[in-house]
Amino acid sequence: MLFNSLTFVVFFIVVVTAYWSIRSWNARKNLLVVASYIFYGAWNPPFAALLFSTTAMDFWLGSRIAKANGRHSRRMWLVGSVCMNLSMLGFFKYGNFLLQNFQWLLAQIGIIYQPPHLDILLPVGISFYTFHSLSYTLDIYRGVLQPTKSLRDFILAVSFFPQLVAGPIVRAGDFLPQLVTAPGLRMGQFLWGLLLMTLGLFEKIVLADTMLSGSADRVFSYAGPLVALDSWLGVMAFAGQIFFDFAGYSICAIGAALCLGFHLKDNFRFPYAAIGFSDFWRRWHISLSTFLRDYLYIPLGGNQVRPVRAAINLVIVMFLGGLWHGAAWTFVVWGLLHGSYLVIERVIRVFFEDARWANNFATKFLAGLATYTAVCIAWVFFRASDFTIATRMLRGMFGGHAHGDAILSGREMLQIGIVTICMILVHWSLRESNIETAVTRLPRWIVTTAWALMACAIILTQGSSNAFIYFQF
Amino acid sequence: MPSSTSNFKGKLGLPRLFFAKPSEIVPRDYERPIPQVPWRGMTVVVVLIVIAAAAAWEFYCRSIGYGPTLNDNEDLWTMTRRRVKPESIIIVGDSRGWFDLDLDELQKGLGKRPVQLAMGGASAYPALADLANDENFHGTIICSVVPYLFFAPPGTPPMQNAEKAVRRSHTQTPAQRASQYLAMPLEEHVAFLKQEELTLDDLLKRLPIPNRPYAQMPPRLPPYFGTLDRERRARMIEECARPGSELQKRIQQIWLPLFTPPPPPSYIPKEVFLAKMKEAIETRFRDVIAGVNKLRARGGKIVFVRLPNSGGLKALEDRDTPRTQTWDPLLKGTAAPGIYYEDFPELSGFNCPEWSHLSAGDSVEFSKRLVPHLRKALEM
Repeated sequence: MLFNSLTFVVFFIVVVTAYWSIRSWNARKNLLVVASYIFYGAWNPPFAALLFSTTAMDFWLGSRIAKANGRHSRRMWLVGSVCMNLSMLGFFKYGNFLLQNFQWLLAQIGIIYQPPHLDILLPVGISFYTFHSLSYTLDIYRGVLQPTKSLRDFILAVSFFPQLVAGPIVRAGDFLPQLVTAPGLRMGQFLWGLLLMTLGLFEKIVLADTMLSGSADRVFSYAGPLVALDSWLGVMAFAGQIFFDFAGYSICAIGAALCLGFHLKDNFRFPYAAIGFSDFWRRWHISLSTFLRDYLYIPLGGNQVRPVRAAINLVIVMFLGGLWHGAAWTFVVWGLLHGSYLVIERVIRVFFEDARWANNFATKFLAGLATYTAVCIAWVFFRASDFTIATRMLRGMFGGHAHGDAILSGREMLQIGIVTICMILVHWSLRESNIETAVTRLPRWIVTTAWALMACAIILTQGSSNAFIYFQF
Repeated sequence: MPSSTSNFKGKLGLPRLFFAKPSEIVPRDYERPIPQVPWRGMTVVVVLIVIAAAAAWEFYCRSIGYGPTLNDNEDLWTMTRRRVKPESIIIVGDSRGWFDLDLDELQKGLGKRPVQLAMGGASAYPALADLANDENFHGTIICSVVPYLFFAPPGTPPMQNAEKAVRRSHTQTPAQRASQYLAMPLEEHVAFLKQEELTLDDLLKRLPIPNRPYAQMPPRLPPYFGTLDRERRARMIEECARPGSELQKRIQQIWLPLFTPPPPPSYIPKEVFLAKMKEAIETRFRDVIAGVNKLRARGGKIVFVRLPNSGGLKALEDRDTPRTQTWDPLLKGTAAPGIYYEDFPELSGFNCPEWSHLSAGDSVEFSKRLVPHLRKALEM
């Protein structure tokens, strides 16, 4: 079920009404479990069984880890959980990719092998709910979480419908405590949740799908050479599209959760105002970057190792982060590029961090623009379906097609320009703040008018049915 | 004394786990900040503004001639595709099959109500191939042929539109199905719900913003001129059928660029491009013949029909896609019967008000006159 669909509107009204009408907290939680499975099953009912089985396994493994005596047996149970989750992910998401690469490797040594194409349907959101579930056993192993005795509560923590299929990656340790006591209906919180849902849908339907996606698609699918202007505009359009698409989903999820009395953490914090790449990853897909930091980077040694080893750790983490996004080498290159950016940034910081000029606004702003530009270059690999397209795009961006084609219309160029400039201005003006503070400080009439305009624009777009980009991950 | 619930819990391990109260987890203090503003008042104002704006927009759209109608999207097509039974009579093809064939008249004449699977601006081939590959289907296909659309190469909008719908019919999720059922009552009553004309995207496209020279823009699509019902029967609105109406003239001028092949892309030599087009058309001939043979092998039948066109569009189609290079080889290759409206005086006297489709009234009369030809072609 998509947030931007009529089915979800009706579903959400029914669930919220029923939820706040029921007095018993247990009954409310049961209702949310049923609603979440309906939400998920509305894509492909059999996959709800897969979701349940991985959840139940992790529930059981979590209790085994907690009960195990000795480090060795705790570790064995954890390995069981990690293997179970990652093999599930590996089979559904990376099965064909692994086979294709195996075929290529054999071909390099002269063995011709034609693997069968596995007709595997990717369960929607499997990368997200696998991580929701995995965080539970990992946190129990790390000793920062006690296992819950209620399977129902754990099922709800993994499958809570606002965050189930495209994040944020809510850790069981952040969600389970909210299931201890029943939240009360607070009108301000509820209506703020609705405003956030409006904002999220506006970002997705109006800004991502209507204003930017068409141009990005046209540029990336154009089979010929493009002039530099069109190439850059296409990449900028995608940079905006993916932000509004994914941040829009996260804001919707946060808003929907608030309407039900739950608090999810921010997943984006104005990332295009980042100064440097470590700052970017503190602002972009925060739930994934903190997941990778806590469960991968720090266990590898984090910063507490020699600089070269720390740099290798960073690249390993970003390599896996890239692969998490999709079973293709283009995603791996995207991750490796970000890993390289992070390493280069560290080197630069060693030399210039304490320089006085490095901390004035002009330098920071230029560094921010450089960060945005480098992030855009990396997006080429994220968006391009193969390296031929990525290479063609990069050549276009760096003037390799002086006599290339100009395909974007004046309207499209204007849309990309206006949306991108406004987005960057908003990100810079709020980079040290948050949306709640902005709404509190702004005059009431501006907030009210903006809310009404966003709602009108959503109605005017007539509910585009484009799926969110991150669903495929 | 234990209650029935606790007995139940005691007997089954899983429910005991399921209903057990969590105890060890200590509530954490994370709470999102909530802006302190007068939420109720603001919400009331927002709701009033949105209702007033939607009502004003609806009133305006109706005042300039728009009326409620269903959107022809892949979910409506899928809903109709689901009605296909093994022996159904099915209409596939383009918008002429949609507008010109009246289901009531065909039902009277052929004994069965046809299922309308033609699509606006689409090639018939994807639906034809889908039915040919459907092992359960051994009914009858009435296939409307507009050569420019029928032979459209892969990757072009006529093929993409049709393929999208066919794909959806195989992959539709329960949520998409539910959304379609929820959308239909709204679309039947609200005039501004037009997915290809009154969306924000379409309104932005109408802004008079100049383009760079050589900017590659797709041709415009015609404005609203027909209604669609739940059976996907299209009817031309009166304003379009009215002789000499402004709407009619506008649409006539839109067909011409829409039916003109785009120039070859700059990055492919013209000869290579033309050779590829030729190859794509030959492949289409082969694929259609294979599909028709597959259908016939199961006892199915097919008849191709060329429906009326008029004015400048007819001249353009006759010039760019002459009968001798499209229609005749199609019938010869498939050995299927065909009805070309110009071959029969009783079918050729109709005028298409906007050059491409019959008016609602004429479509009834045309269908009535077409029935004997269909019966003969299908040996009914």
